Amino acid sequence: MKFQANRDVFSEAVSFAVKLLPQRTTLPILSGVLIEATATGLVLSSFDYEVSAQTEISADVEETGTILVSGRLLAEIASRLPNAPVRFSTEDSRILVSCGSASFTLLSMPVEEYPSIPQISSETGVVPAEEFAAAVAQVAVAASRDDVTPVITGVQLEVSENSLGLVATDRYRVAVREIDWDGGSTATAETITALVPARTLQEVGKTFGHSGTISVSITSKDERELIAFTADKKTVTSLLIKGNFPPVRRLFPETVENYAVMNTADLIEATRRVSLVLEREAALRFSFTPDGVTLEAIGSEQAQASETIDAVLTGVETVVSLKPQFLLDGLGAVHSEFVRISFTKTENPNKPGPVLITSQTSRDQAGADSYRYLLQPNLLLR
Amino acid sequence: MSKQDGRSRQVNTTPVDDTGATILHVDMDAFFASVELLSRPELRGTPVIVGGGIGPRSVVSAANYEARRYGVNSAMPMSLALRRCPNATVLPGSYDLYSKYSKQVLAIFEDATPLVEPLSIDEAFLDVAGARRVHGSPSEIAQMIRRRVEAETGLTCSVGVAGTKYVAKVASSRAKPDGMLVVPVAETQAFLRPLSVGALWGVGPTTEESLRRLGLATVGDVADTPYDVLRSTLGEALAAKLHSLANGIDPRSVSTQREEKSIGREVTFSYDVTDEAEIRRAMLHQADDAAARLRAAGLVARTVVLKLRYTDFSTVTKSRTLAEPTDVGRRIYEEATAAWHALGAAGKRIRLIGVRVEQLGESGSGLSLWDPDEDWRDAETTIDEVAARFGKGSIRPAALLRPKKQS
Repeated sequence: MKFQANRDVFSEAVSFAVKLLPQRTTLPILSGVLIEATATGLVLSSFDYEVSAQTEISADVEETGTILVSGRLLAEIASRLPNAPVRFSTEDSRILVSCGSASFTLLSMPVEEYPSIPQISSETGVVPAEEFAAAVAQVAVAASRDDVTPVITGVQLEVSENSLGLVATDRYRVAVREIDWDGGSTATAETITALVPARTLQEVGKTFGHSGTISVSITSKDERELIAFTADKKTVTSLLIKGNFPPVRRLFPETVENYAVMNTADLIEATRRVSLVLEREAALRFSFTPDGVTLEAIGSEQAQASETIDAVLTGVETVVSLKPQFLLDGLGAVHSEFVRISFTKTENPNKPGPVLITSQTSRDQAGADSYRYLLQPNLLLR
Repeated sequence: MSKQDGRSRQVNTTPVDDTGATILHVDMDAFFASVELLSRPELRGTPVIVGGGIGPRSVVSAANYEARRYGVNSAMPMSLALRRCPNATVLPGSYDLYSKYSKQVLAIFEDATPLVEPLSIDEAFLDVAGARRVHGSPSEIAQMIRRRVEAETGLTCSVGVAGTKYVAKVASSRAKPDGMLVVPVAETQAFLRPLSVGALWGVGPTTEESLRRLGLATVGDVADTPYDVLRSTLGEALAAKLHSLANGIDPRSVSTQREEKSIGREVTFSYDVTDEAEIRRAMLHQADDAAARLRAAGLVARTVVLKLRYTDFSTVTKSRTLAEPTDVGRRIYEEATAAWHALGAAGKRIRLIGVRVEQLGESGSGLSLWDPDEDWRDAETTIDEVAARFGKGSIRPAALLRPKKQS
């Protein structure tokens, strides 16, 4: 095998291919990046049986062939190469890499032992890339990071005729958003769901955010359910998480009459400041009155703090106890100058009703987006 | 409980330097058996075994020194104990009485120093560094405790006095019964070196075997072995611990607030059980019990552990980590049931079963949006309230309502 490629193009392709590889793998061969040199260019792939990444780039191929090299090492080398064309050639089981004044010799791993990359079937639909990336970032904050319950470590994608819903939860909060979905000619009224690992989806969002549109295909074949995202000659596939996502949409209230609107940045700043004196895992107390909202950090013997900021209250005065990090995650995700916190009612006397965080373009104009973040307050301690 | 029968007893015969030897380990001598003998003085000097319950499955809870000389040890099946020592008197345990004496003895320790760390019903560590002015030197305090315990309860105890917890504990076991052994700080090494490696804390039969394969038979051998050599065989954590202990280093201080690490009970059936319904009842009972104790202590548990002992005495455990810490008996029961299936125990003959919870934390750190156990928690909290007013067992799951078994 022998080829020459543009350094920047090659480096970007390698970095894409290794990004989704796990830090540690049980099978060393899965830490490799497969490079296939064909008459038309190069195909770089990685696969760990769960997630695969594949991309095509152009290159001057003198001699076709396939090699498998350590992904992390190749990515580090590629990112530090001098500004010159990159040349690859093979000599028995060795791979020679040269670029300007630098040259490397790498050992090839056995290509024949490498698993075959999942093939994707026909497209299920198309989403606008920028909106998709934003929605993933907003929703994935609520996904659980605890592997004990795999189903909630994913983001649930709900495809209907012309919208894509994203839902995530870790039991303490739920985030949802709807974006446009173009199901093309195959669009049906039937809802398709896919539970995608949050980490993978976040990488997809970051990678494809500026690609215009992303083509999505959801397939199930021989018990293996797979989702693929394709844009700019790059494809990421992921196995879907098995199991039923909890029916969290029903936790959202249909209507709310009791809410407060604040400047988002003011509330974020105040929350960060006042929570400095909190012990880990402790909650902040928020008292909403017609005069504003007062944040109080109590419960610690060494230090207390409080701050009052402007708030426009509709409905009755309300006090809730919220974990600052959970609130900040929601405030950071609304992406609007103002934010509305709504208070819901509950039938259980032992449990305060959840609060709902939504965007607000001004003090009295609700945001146009569909993002909603529901958060369970703690018990009020006094 | 110690397996020593008092034949290798070692006590101080002349006063020794106890400067800096401020940790006391006080261990009651054959505690259960000695308490029994208080009301049965005619049995003194004869072998006595205390056994839990009546029936073929009973095990030895405790034995006095006379019985231990026949090779009777605690946790041994009663049938074996009686084969070894046929003329022993077997007494059923009177656990309320042991608890009463335990409290009385603990109060004596607390008169000597506020720094008392009870290890179990019959032993405790004491830090007497601050008590010198009030009560005298460590060995004077040890003797005072021994005198008072005997005068006020009629029971004897043995005390180890040393610079660290580990050495004090070894010393008390050497001093048994009814003795005191002070290990001067300067002589710690000399005291430890000749001991068998099995005397090191954390060395069970498996580790002992690994050490012996390295040619290490005594504590001194372990102390002289480079840490790296130990590490390659024992792993980092255990190697570091044993190397320190063997060199007389034990940084643990006497801590008065012992944190509960696990909560749970186990039961040996009076006959081997294969009936799934009976096993489930046992698990339900133990799970409810553990949950009630969690709630009473304001704790939640993250892990549920099921322990089974089969007819052939092989013992297996299976732990399950919960998505969210719990104090609900129903949840613990369901996890225990899942562990039982995971062990493939269905249809096997089971001798002992135990459900316990671990990874305990304080409850109430955060509420979740939905909780599948919410109704169960409400029900169980109500049961707690009824039990507090009308006594334990006033309300119980219907599955546990059955005529008392005659055994």
